[in-house]
Amino acid sequence: MNILNVRGRRVAVLEAGGGPALVYLHGFADVHGVAGDFQSFHRRLAQTARVIAPAHPGCADSDELDRCGIDDVVFHYLEVLDALGLTRFDLAGHCVGGWIAAELAVRHPEKVARLALIGACGLFVSGTRISDVFMHAQPDRGTDLTTLRTLLFADAKTPAALRFFPDGRGDIEEEMRRYQMLRFGSFVGFKPPYFYNRALRERLHRARMPALVIAGEHDHMVPRAHGDAYAAGLPGARELKIVADAGHAAPLEQPEATAALLAAFLRDGGNNSEPLQSASVVDRSAR
Amino acid sequence: MTHPVQLYCWHFMAYPHLPADFDEKYDTGWVTVPNRLWDGGKSRGLYQQYIDQLAYADELGFDGMVLNEHHQNIYGLMPSPNLIAAALSQKTKRGKIVILGSLLPLHLTPLRIAEEYAMLDNMSDGRLIAGFAPGSGPETFNYDVVSATSREQFWEAVDLIARAWTQDGPFEHDGRHYPLRYVNPWPRPTQRPHPPIWIPGSRSRETLVEIARRGYGYFLSSRSHGKETARSQQQFAKILEEQGDHYQPFRMGILMSAYVGETDAQAQAEAKDGVWYKNCLKGHLRREGRQLTFGPGIPYIPPEEFRNYLKFSDPTTPLLGDAETWDDLKESASIIVGNADTVYTRIMEILEHAKVGHLLIQFHLGNMPDALARNSMRRFATEVAPRLRADSTRLFGREFPDIERQLAPEMAK
Repeated sequence: MNILNVRGRRVAVLEAGGGPALVYLHGFADVHGVAGDFQSFHRRLAQTARVIAPAHPGCADSDELDRCGIDDVVFHYLEVLDALGLTRFDLAGHCVGGWIAAELAVRHPEKVARLALIGACGLFVSGTRISDVFMHAQPDRGTDLTTLRTLLFADAKTPAALRFFPDGRGDIEEEMRRYQMLRFGSFVGFKPPYFYNRALRERLHRARMPALVIAGEHDHMVPRAHGDAYAAGLPGARELKIVADAGHAAPLEQPEATAALLAAFLRDGGNNSEPLQSASVVDRSAR
Repeated sequence: MTHPVQLYCWHFMAYPHLPADFDEKYDTGWVTVPNRLWDGGKSRGLYQQYIDQLAYADELGFDGMVLNEHHQNIYGLMPSPNLIAAALSQKTKRGKIVILGSLLPLHLTPLRIAEEYAMLDNMSDGRLIAGFAPGSGPETFNYDVVSATSREQFWEAVDLIARAWTQDGPFEHDGRHYPLRYVNPWPRPTQRPHPPIWIPGSRSRETLVEIARRGYGYFLSSRSHGKETARSQQQFAKILEEQGDHYQPFRMGILMSAYVGETDAQAQAEAKDGVWYKNCLKGHLRREGRQLTFGPGIPYIPPEEFRNYLKFSDPTTPLLGDAETWDDLKESASIIVGNADTVYTRIMEILEHAKVGHLLIQFHLGNMPDALARNSMRRFATEVAPRLRADSTRLFGREFPDIERQLAPEMAK
């Protein structure tokens, strides 16, 4: 783990592999969100790219931001990218990390070569709410995390779910990472309830880079309609890709299949994508 | 001048008409407990009955009446304690009216509370004790309060209110959460410089330091009174010393519940239904169901404090709401049930080790009938309170030889 100094703030960054830079923004059931190190999904990506995964403010060993709304987090990452010397890169994000990636891409499309979102929240889709991870993070009878595991995974008994979200008092360092991630999540996403920016959807047309949108087949946290809305709103995206036998935490549950989708996109997506929609078509979504 | 313990009657205004199968069917009394269970017919006159019980406490000579704020739950039907306080200001003449407290982050701006409290202080001719609280888990969900910033928001609100009461307006407040151009509330409170301010806290050092720094009263929001209560008092006293201040009993208050009967056996028989009624005990923290007061989903405490909690707590330890027998209750000293001698003896034990000057006592428990609650209050006021006042005066005089001098400036106000 490297500690980056960004204008006096500590930012923890994990890095692996070589090749084109791939900035990876993590989610709840993910590296930094609960795991202390890269998992097989991230290591698989590192076979073809230089994977750079900063921990969100307040997560792992990163300092909290003094002010931590979604805009503050976007500017935080612009400063992190400056500190890393990255001007153009591939960008992938999972869960809350996907939301932040999308917010970055609509503001600075020139920096993002290709965009990949996995179970991304961030959108307001009327009638399909993102589930309440905060309430379900409160164990039943003080020890039982079945409903949280159900929210984040295809099934509460998925091995990865039981490994990282066990009942009772777990490993203190993992419990702390979970707490810090929920605290970060509450700063950016508790209000409005939960995890969306109403303005984001009508801004997606600005992110015209090639894009890949992925969802787990049984995502109980972010409804399928949100993946569809990203796929429809991002001009460079094709239809939503589904990872079979996975829930919200597809990278932990189906690391091979999820990484394979990403690797194929990063291999072909940028150079060999289908032609983008014309500007006039895109303009339809503008007001 | 003597300084006996101050005895208050606290009313939670519980919802008393839950169906018999409530425990089997519903896992919580908070936030999501369906409001179709509200029985409008049976509930007619309920607020009147509860307000009259508090007015009766005033007639009986209690030093004050205590109200607090809860939302969307079966445990306390006072989303707006200020409304009840307004009624009490007109029905009572003597006792303090303690609101403990208004939940500041739930309001658009704290100025509204500065204004309403100033109105109440005028309406009661200076009898208001102004309590403020940040709210906890249920409010996070009920009112969409971001728990991680709620403490910071809370202290900004407290300071803004105190400033609005003491500094001439209009002035500008350039705070982070409540930036305001014209702060100039009318009316101003009757009590000068302002009504006493009480802040509830558990055992967070951060909260105690903030309270001590400002010279406010500390109310320990725990219902169990074993060794922990004395430790909290010592912790607060130490923090006051660090600030160059001194502890005296009237800097601190605690909460308990009591039922006084003719005999111990009769007291238990009469209090039984109310004590074991779902929303008396089961409204409290308990392991059964989902706890919505504290935990990773309500991440308001800084990470280092949470690490301590993980290190030093056991998630399987039963909580007060898990009590199943009278012995469980006796151990936690949270609900004291017995004849006048028993109740006097056990409260005096708590006073001797906790050395607190404000006792906030809940008499109406769960679905307790009006007549029983009043009998218990009357027995307490006539048979227990006089002894507690006499003995606490001696206790405080012995333990705090400087108490006269320490309280002198307060009396002069």
